[in-house]
Amino acid sequence: MARADGRRQPPGSRLIWPLLAIPGTVWLALLFVAPLYVVVAILFGGTDPILREPVPVWNPLDWDFAQFTYVWDHIVGSQPFFRPALVRTVLYVTIATLLCLLIAYPVAYFTARFAGRWRGPLLAALIAPFWISYMMRMLAWVNLLQTDGLVNRTLSAGGLLDVHVNWLQGHATTVVLGLAYGYVPYMILPLYAGLDRAPTAMLEAARDLGASRWETFRRVTWPLSQTAVVVSLLVTALPMLGDYFTNDLLSGSPSTSMIGNLINNSVLTPGQTGQAGAFVLIILVVSVIPMVLYVRSTRSGADVMS
Amino acid sequence: MADHQYGARRRSVVKGALAAGVSAPALWTLLSACGTKTSSSATVKIPSPTTPVTWPMSKVNEAIAAGQKPKAGTTLRIYNYADYLSPRVLKDFEEKYGVNIRLSTFNDADEALTKVASKQLKFDLYFPSYDSLGKLIGADLLRPLTHDYLTNYDNLWSSFRDPWYDRGARYTVPYTIYSTGIGWRTDMVPDDIAGMDNPYDVFWDTTYAGKMAILDDWHTAMSMVLLRNGIHDINSTKQSDLDLIRTQLLDLRKTMHPKVTISMYTDMPAGQYGLCQMWSGDAINTPYYLPKSVSPSVMRYWFPPDGKGEVDNDLVVLLAQGENPVAAHFFINEILDNSVAAKNFGFTGYQPPLNKFTPSTLVSDGYLPQNLATAVVEEKDFKVGFPLLQLPPASDAAWHQVWQEFKAGG
Amino acid sequence: MRSPVAWWRNPWRKPWVLGAVTVGYLLWSLLPVLVAVLFSFNAGRSRVTWQGFSMRWYYGDPLRSVWHDGSLHTALTHTLWLGVLATAITIPLGVAMALGLDRWRGRVPAGANLAVLMSFVLPEILIAVSLLFVATVLVSPLKLGTSGQVLGLVTFQLSYPVVIVRARLLTIGRDYEEAAIDLGASPFGAVRRVLLKMLLPAIFASAVLVFADVIDDFIIVRYLSGDSSTEPVSVKVYNTARAAPTPALNALTTLLLAASLVAVAVGFLAYRWFTRGEKGRSLDVFAGEA
Repeated sequence: MARADGRRQPPGSRLIWPLLAIPGTVWLALLFVAPLYVVVAILFGGTDPILREPVPVWNPLDWDFAQFTYVWDHIVGSQPFFRPALVRTVLYVTIATLLCLLIAYPVAYFTARFAGRWRGPLLAALIAPFWISYMMRMLAWVNLLQTDGLVNRTLSAGGLLDVHVNWLQGHATTVVLGLAYGYVPYMILPLYAGLDRAPTAMLEAARDLGASRWETFRRVTWPLSQTAVVVSLLVTALPMLGDYFTNDLLSGSPSTSMIGNLINNSVLTPGQTGQAGAFVLIILVVSVIPMVLYVRSTRSGADVMS
Repeated sequence: MADHQYGARRRSVVKGALAAGVSAPALWTLLSACGTKTSSSATVKIPSPTTPVTWPMSKVNEAIAAGQKPKAGTTLRIYNYADYLSPRVLKDFEEKYGVNIRLSTFNDADEALTKVASKQLKFDLYFPSYDSLGKLIGADLLRPLTHDYLTNYDNLWSSFRDPWYDRGARYTVPYTIYSTGIGWRTDMVPDDIAGMDNPYDVFWDTTYAGKMAILDDWHTAMSMVLLRNGIHDINSTKQSDLDLIRTQLLDLRKTMHPKVTISMYTDMPAGQYGLCQMWSGDAINTPYYLPKSVSPSVMRYWFPPDGKGEVDNDLVVLLAQGENPVAAHFFINEILDNSVAAKNFGFTGYQPPLNKFTPSTLVSDGYLPQNLATAVVEEKDFKVGFPLLQLPPASDAAWHQVWQEFKAGG
Repeated sequence: MRSPVAWWRNPWRKPWVLGAVTVGYLLWSLLPVLVAVLFSFNAGRSRVTWQGFSMRWYYGDPLRSVWHDGSLHTALTHTLWLGVLATAITIPLGVAMALGLDRWRGRVPAGANLAVLMSFVLPEILIAVSLLFVATVLVSPLKLGTSGQVLGLVTFQLSYPVVIVRARLLTIGRDYEEAAIDLGASPFGAVRRVLLKMLLPAIFASAVLVFADVIDDFIIVRYLSGDSSTEPVSVKVYNTARAAPTPALNALTTLLLAASLVAVAVGFLAYRWFTRGEKGRSLDVFAGEA
């Protein structure tokens, strides 16, 4: 059997590839794909009368749409009390991601272009947050942001002013900054990888031809880094969609709740577990759109690494 | 070339989607082979002070035989709120009997009930309140107690030895008693809340917007709204009452931006806010968490002087799924012991309903400062006060829906 | 001396602004952690007011130090154990899948590719909630506790080695393999003796990334946790931070940080040893470069 490049393939070798791939495929089928159907079966199922635990319904013909209708009505209906949380999620994630980009791009650019002999230690310092538990970094900020913590003390400039802002009580700013702080390391590395690949020769050519720094950036660097930017935006924004613990730690108030909080509050509450399934499916549907973007932006084979 | 690759990729994605779409319904036939849990279908009895209940002895879970001793080296699994059992008491028990205690904690009662109902975690002891007793017994999750092990049982106040929610004390032992009221710091709140006509109104006073907290417990928080309006049936099934709660609770959220938490006992001493809805035990506990620079005399607690407020007690129950019921009985007996209970009280701040702890002497015995004397719960409070009872399933669902709307943020 | 405007406009000047931003970022990123580490040595109970130096929260305090409080040091050991277990399962499974999917054509591998892509891109809470339902509502072999947590973690992390190794495979191409086959190796032997050796940096990088991600994981391990003996550090911090935390929590996270640094050092040294004598090895591979 001839392959595209004309070489002969040894007989019997074609089995090895399916054999290698089957274990992983079966794993994903059983533990990733099938459980999504369980979520659907619980969403369209019922609840047991005493403990109000969920009872899944497997046959699509027997599905009961009450729980889904309840959630849907309260997103788009006359009393849309779930809608603010969804809108807030989109808002917080967008702002936090853009903030991350604003911070990560210069840092990644500097590391890729100008770090020189400091590149190794700099990369190590940038990779370090991955090794520092996310919770430890959030806990560190919780300590600093307490009313008698270091942030307020520093802002009070040693007694000149009296700053007693209650950062940890229902402020959207704190949550957005917390999200940015937590997720910016995820953005720096893909950006660095992408920027590192951009050919230096083009940039130097632009400068040699008289472009200022800003023009070089706008007309050469930025277009060259488009793929990396899109990929890193997705890699940062998508995990943020499911985040609820940043909000729990940095703001104990319902005024800043996100869709992750809606899920977390209902998933273990008797009688509301099916609704958690609805929110999970909403996240699934909403994430598919960026996923299509991701596939399109990584269509060239060499860029399949994100 | 790039287009050809793109086209090839897109086709493969579409093929993959087809494959996944075809396989999913096929998988559900496989899944229906995985069983689902069977559920009990008995109706649920709801105990109240006027309608006491004697629970039937479980047909499925038998009481254990008397006269056994805990085996050294085994594990005792306890499921409780955080900071609700003294680490000293646990360590002492471990050393005394050679049993290893594993304490797991939960944040709210709903989550706890779900985990207990899953039966996978094999907890021996659980600390609920009586509002979930009907569900626990209806789902056959409890094992009847063997009172031969509970030699300290008579340390309890007489009114608690045969309670209305469990006549004959077949399944439960009282753990702590507490009231729910208003706590504040005089250095952060200048108003005299105790002197107000309706102290509950302070929770809607915009002077304190962003600087107050309410309890993260649906029934406790929502009942407070009813009490504010002079409605004493805090277990109301009336739709009009629920609508009132909904309106005023959402108004509270919008104008006051409250923190919704159960960590008042650390947050308020740390200065996070100066006013909150509070359990009496947390109020008693605050001096421990105050920094050295702040005097305990700033703490205050208010409960209706006529006694018409929320008064409850927590319980300890023996779960049938546990694997160490003997050690569990010994533990229950241990916390009924006067000196052990004193240590526990010193750590948690929640009163044990034991004879040695007469409310009138708690202040003079040094358990709490005089300015918190209103946080002490007396036996007579239980005759006048209102307990939080279990609601019938439809009402329970309706109340939870309002709470869900509240927590979704506006 | 040139004017400031001319200095600003010079395209060849040193990048002080970018450098300053980078330094500023590093400080913002790492200083809070240093402060947290500092307060783990606090003599008092406060996490914001320095009350003197002490090792009390590490081993001194007989009740609440990490050494004496069972739930705290269990969290640490459980986290590391989850990291080792999950990585040990994910890497072989993922590398094999990468190799297989790269060469196999058809509907099934296309579906598998889609599944890998979805599991890479979708938020973790989807996998966590769906597996929680399987564990609690169905009667299935998936149980709450370590086994459930490992199964969930592997499912979530599987896409990492697949994506990284496939990228590297694309760069390597078929030439070396075909040369080996022409010289008489069996297809499996070619893979084993030639390809795997060349993939080693990518396999290493994905192992390191998976381990770091697993010990930091929160959503999956929280929903699938059993009792307190299966709560890793991230869950312990979350639960305790919302109750009454003491500097023992800072001590616990500092110890985890120390363990991670040791793991990184070991990994880095092993990487250098494995790739000794090769050209072009650098830390870039850990940033996801092929």
